Amino acid sequence: MNEIRKEDERVKGTQEYVLLDLSHSPETGFDQFAQVVKRTFGKELFVGLWVTLREMGSTLFGKGKHTVSYPLEKMPIAPRYRAIHDMLRLLESGNYRCIGCGLCEKICISNCIAMDTKYDENQRKEVSEYTINFGRCIFCGYCAEVCPELAIVHGGRYENASEQRASFSLFEDMLKPIDMLTQQKEFDGFGAVSPNADENIKKTPLAY
Amino acid sequence: MDPLLIGTVLKSIIVLSIVSALAGFGTYIERKVLAFMQRRLGPTHVGPFGLLQIAADGIKLFTKEDIIPSNANKLIFSVAPAIAAATAFIAISAVPLFHTFEFTVPVINQLVIVPSVIADINIGILFVLGMMAAGLYAPLLAGMAQANKWGIIGSSRTAVQFLSYEVVTGLSVMAPIMLVGSLSLIDFNNAQADGVGSWIVWQQPVAFVLFLIAGFAETNRTPFDLLEHEAEVVSGYATEYSGLRWGMFFIGEYANMITISFLLAIIFCGGYSDIGFVAGWLAMLLKVAFFFFLMLWIRAAWPHVRPDQLMWLCWKVLMPIAVINIVITGLVVMLG
Amino acid sequence: MSENMITMTIDGVACQAKEGEYILNVARANAIFIPAICYLTRCSPTLACRICLVEADGKRVYACNAKAKDGMEVLTSNQEILEERKAIMQVYDVNHPLQCGVCDQSGSCELQNYTLELSVDTQPYVIADTTREAKNWSSVLHYDPGLCIVCERCVTVCKDMIGDAAITTGARGGVELDKEYKESMPKDAYSMWNKLQKSVITPSNDTDSTNCSDCGECIAVCPVGALVSRDFVYTTNSWELTKVPATCAHCSSGCQIYYETKPTSIENRDQKIYRVTNEWNYLSLCGAGRFGYDFENRVVAKNEVAFRVAIDAIKSAQAIRFTSVITNEEALMLQTLKEKLGVKLFNTEAKAFQNFMSSYTTHSGNMLFGGNIKEMMQTSDFIISIGSSLRNDNPNVRYLFNNIQKLNKGAGLYFHPVGDSLITSMGKNITQIEHKVGTEEAILYWILDQFADKEKLPSEINEYITSFHEVSKKTITEKVITDVTETVVDAETGESKEIVKKVTTNVEKEIEVVANRLLDILDAPADFDATLEKYLGKKENFSLVLGEDLYFHSQVKNLAHLVALIEEFTPFSVAIIPPRTNSLGVALLCELDDDMNDDKITTVGYNTIGDFVLSSLGNGDLDMPAMNQQEGTLTNMHKRVVPTNAAVSYHGYELNDIMNELGFGQDLTVDWTSLLPTGRGFKSVDFDSLPNGYTNSGEENRGYRLENKTTKSTSSIPTKIVTSDISGEILYRCNPQRQFNEFTDKAHQIFEEFALYVSKEKAEMLGDKATLEINNKEFTLPVVVDDRMSGDIIKLPDFKHSHEIYTHFGDSRFKSTTIRKA
Ligand code: SF4
Ligand code: SF4
Ligand code: SF4
Ligand code: SF4
Ligand code: SF4
Ligand code: FES
Repeated sequence: MNEIRKEDERVKGTQEYVLLDLSHSPETGFDQFAQVVKRTFGKELFVGLWVTLREMGSTLFGKGKHTVSYPLEKMPIAPRYRAIHDMLRLLESGNYRCIGCGLCEKICISNCIAMDTKYDENQRKEVSEYTINFGRCIFCGYCAEVCPELAIVHGGRYENASEQRASFSLFEDMLKPIDMLTQQKEFDGFGAVSPNADENIKKTPLAY
Repeated sequence: MDPLLIGTVLKSIIVLSIVSALAGFGTYIERKVLAFMQRRLGPTHVGPFGLLQIAADGIKLFTKEDIIPSNANKLIFSVAPAIAAATAFIAISAVPLFHTFEFTVPVINQLVIVPSVIADINIGILFVLGMMAAGLYAPLLAGMAQANKWGIIGSSRTAVQFLSYEVVTGLSVMAPIMLVGSLSLIDFNNAQADGVGSWIVWQQPVAFVLFLIAGFAETNRTPFDLLEHEAEVVSGYATEYSGLRWGMFFIGEYANMITISFLLAIIFCGGYSDIGFVAGWLAMLLKVAFFFFLMLWIRAAWPHVRPDQLMWLCWKVLMPIAVINIVITGLVVMLG
Repeated sequence: MSENMITMTIDGVACQAKEGEYILNVARANAIFIPAICYLTRCSPTLACRICLVEADGKRVYACNAKAKDGMEVLTSNQEILEERKAIMQVYDVNHPLQCGVCDQSGSCELQNYTLELSVDTQPYVIADTTREAKNWSSVLHYDPGLCIVCERCVTVCKDMIGDAAITTGARGGVELDKEYKESMPKDAYSMWNKLQKSVITPSNDTDSTNCSDCGECIAVCPVGALVSRDFVYTTNSWELTKVPATCAHCSSGCQIYYETKPTSIENRDQKIYRVTNEWNYLSLCGAGRFGYDFENRVVAKNEVAFRVAIDAIKSAQAIRFTSVITNEEALMLQTLKEKLGVKLFNTEAKAFQNFMSSYTTHSGNMLFGGNIKEMMQTSDFIISIGSSLRNDNPNVRYLFNNIQKLNKGAGLYFHPVGDSLITSMGKNITQIEHKVGTEEAILYWILDQFADKEKLPSEINEYITSFHEVSKKTITEKVITDVTETVVDAETGESKEIVKKVTTNVEKEIEVVANRLLDILDAPADFDATLEKYLGKKENFSLVLGEDLYFHSQVKNLAHLVALIEEFTPFSVAIIPPRTNSLGVALLCELDDDMNDDKITTVGYNTIGDFVLSSLGNGDLDMPAMNQQEGTLTNMHKRVVPTNAAVSYHGYELNDIMNELGFGQDLTVDWTSLLPTGRGFKSVDFDSLPNGYTNSGEENRGYRLENKTTKSTSSIPTKIVTSDISGEILYRCNPQRQFNEFTDKAHQIFEEFALYVSKEKAEMLGDKATLEINNKEFTLPVVVDDRMSGDIIKLPDFKHSHEIYTHFGDSRFKSTTIRKA
């Protein structure tokens, strides 16, 4: 018995659990009867009724309602949530950040990223097309973690039902719309810069 | 043609349609009330406040494929739901729902007297209880006919539950019957016509509580919904049912709830007599609504009991109390 | 070179090696890793990177440059060496742009690899950067000096292998190194940096363009992303590419290549070839092999109607005309058709080669020539080339010619009617003899005269040769140097000094000279004898390479006879270069007939003209797979049967389907591989068991080597020299560099056009366009200056079949013509 309690203490930890006293259940018929009487005429049943009635009142007239009227209302999702990817832009120029390094394509364990790149007029590598096959993506977040440019991240778009399971998402679909540039948020999940990144890096000397 | 027959048929049709509509509405109310009690919203999308959800469900039930399992006893399997619905409605036929209506037909200028009860039989209360008890064949047969283990368990639970509770139901109304001295429900109503003070519930609180509890069992509502408790026996006797047949069980259950609510109001709470300025029909509606609500409320608040607890409660607690109550009432009646 | 084997230890491992081999190569052959950046196998060490530093018998040496000695003990690293190496990598990383993310080399970059290998995690060195603009050097070369680490591999390969020497190190204009570093940093790293900071790579002709062979070998060897093909820049990451080991199908070298493939684009998931790579340490490609890869015949479905017509056409055909760009398997199928249906087989170039080879076999008793190009490259120090415009005909033989000059300190003679300044620029000891057209017999006789063992040589031949000798007395002036002592008074100090001066005086002398009239026939330079004597000093390994001019020659039988004699009686090893891709295979497998170009004969053409055309080019009556779409084997000039693979999909009919329809087929095309006749030197092996690669020590492990079959030779005496006179304007049937056939022409990165190629002087006479007439047919073609050509001869390509150039030229590669400005 004691042992169990000790165990219980340990399980209890710091959380506010209430331990039920299961030590004496009714043994004789009379005990059982007494228990029924006690439970019937004690407060328990009525407390139950009161609680439900109260909640009904507060739901109807107060703020008790817990239902989120999705899709009219949406819950904010955690910044680390891994939903459909976003392709971020550079805040200064509005250019897309992706440099076409192909690391995401390489690391993707579902092998669902594909990209086409080319040499553009400005002698830069241009990402001419980029897709993720969301029929295969498992939202593991590796692509976001590996991206050296913080370009591909997970966004909050989780409503991805579509007629075609294997429908593609193209670069334009994922790219942050340029008019929403000011609303662009950095991703906090895998691959984000750690808050003390500066302390962990030794600076390369510069001759200027 | 016999005007009585015409009247009865007309009334049957009206009551049948209203009660079945109400049964449907009852599902809506139940979902709403339970939702609110659980801080949810319940149906909201179909129609204003989700009211048309009933219609949607109805359409669904009507159009759903009617599956009869290949190993089932087809005849019994198809008849059982009809028993459930039929007995529930037949039971209502002997329940006086409101005052007798009296009105003058404008054109022919003739006074028409329409008693609200379809069939005023002088053993109304026995008939109603008997009919409701006969309803137990529905789950019993349904469960056994469907060749499904959950159905069998549901059936056996039915047997257990009804055998137990018919006793309590019968014994508990015995005392009020002794007081009123009649088995006609109209007499019950008339016996309590002198306002709230004359309600039998004050004289027979124990009988009231016992009847209430038995009523829950009769309609297999929580806490006595053993027959089809999802968490234990999938859907019990209704496991293999789908579509309209399943819907008939459902309607039967809700019709029974309405009947029980009426019975409670008439036997213990003054029936359709006026209460001061509150018209009798309104008082009746309010009472019925309250009892109906109570059933939902309790479903939201209380857990259900195990079959063994149920029997224990019935045979070892309620029945003795009922018997004692009858004895005491008998003594009082004899001595008084 | 001595073949003595020695034993040395590297890191405690006992290694066998040839004496005089570089430590680095010994280590590599024994799978011991020594970091090395600038060294290229088969080229001379440049000592640019210094990272290959090792300790040999207690001394610091550069592994790529230090020769192995018996009993030598080498340690590949110690603390000091590791520090040195790390410093070298740190220096390479100074100001190296952080653009691995976009760089084409990323993932296979040696700078990345060694930076990681040597765990460079901090940067102690710093210097101001210099702006360096990326440039396009040619139609294919893209150079980004920002990424260049000046390892000079590109320079080395271009000079030592390719022979163009088109690029060199130039001034960077960078900031001077801080003097302080001299003391503070490891000394090899410092001196490497010092040099690095001063140089970039530039075209060696002081212009912005290399004007070179566009072989792309510099791209292949560049360890970083500095040199990339213009077409490839930023199109894909190297790790996305699948390497398909194959064999280049353009010339008879049959080089091993990898087609590197990836889906075409996001929309089109069909595999596409993005580039061709090679094992550049062991083999060098030419521009056609490297850039001419997209010649596939995209066929999406089988055309049954055309197929039926094809079957009927073949059944009713009297002859099948084809080119040498087919696999051995296909050649065998065609031969089977000949045997079963009695059709004739026409293949002009292979027939000419076959004629030459059969005459050679008759007189030498050997089915195959004895020389081996790969061995020549390693050992030969004297090479003669006859009958081939080396630069155009066979790049690998040209690399051989160059490599012998550069690495083996060799000498070379280049006999050809068309002068080529590239050949002479390959080394100091090269003489080019622009002989008259059709005098090849004289050259071969001259070789016999010069090099044959006269004792053994049949006396008739001996007599014939000596009949060309003319003995005369001649007075020559000889320079005599004498020391004269003078006394000089210094003007400022007034001191007098004794100075010894060398004074040259001319002395007249009379000597006996043997003049060889053979040389006169060949228009050899006057002092040729003396030059040759100089060339031949200390030479011990002689090579002779023979080209297409000899097979298309009126005296072809006699030439082959002379070649057989040379092989027998002189120390030369002889390589007879097949004219086209698989001419050797075709010549061995097919009984070819003479193509009279008779219009009355109904022909089926395979990749060439005919009444019904099977075409891998997509312009015929029934599509066939191109070489990069089929499996099979090729027989190359190294006398090897090498496998090639399909890199691009093909969904149409193959020759084997036709064979099946006719009832002589095999399950798969490659089932024919094991049926190749063993009587012709082939082996009965499965296609799938044929290897296609190189070992660590550079040994070729590809397919199998053809076996030489010997017969009894008939000894007879070659006929005397017949000189045919050819006058007027002379045309030479010769393709431009990188252009071999219609397949190379189809490739989008091969730009060389179908035009007249002429020397600068000739171009001035002809203008932009010229009209010429052959066999009463007029051609008007653009005139393109080939500034390495000299002389009046005009080169006319044959890579477009529609022009029927072969037919017009008949049995010679030279043709007289009339030409006028257009
Ligand atoms: S989340 Fe994972 S599976 Fe999805 S694209 Fe990124 S790496 Fe691939
Ligand atoms: S890892 Fe980032 S920068 Fe690189 S290709 Fe992917 S999205 Fe672009
Ligand atoms: S050359 Fe190598 S180290 Fe330099 S950017 Fe390219 S991949 Fe990176
Ligand atoms: S271009 Fe490449 S191969 Fe040439 S020196 Fe620079 S890094 Fe070396
Ligand atoms: S392409 Fe070939 S010839 Fe031209 S510079 Fe490069 S290695 Fe030399
Ligand atoms: S590899 Fe030896 S110095 Fe570069």
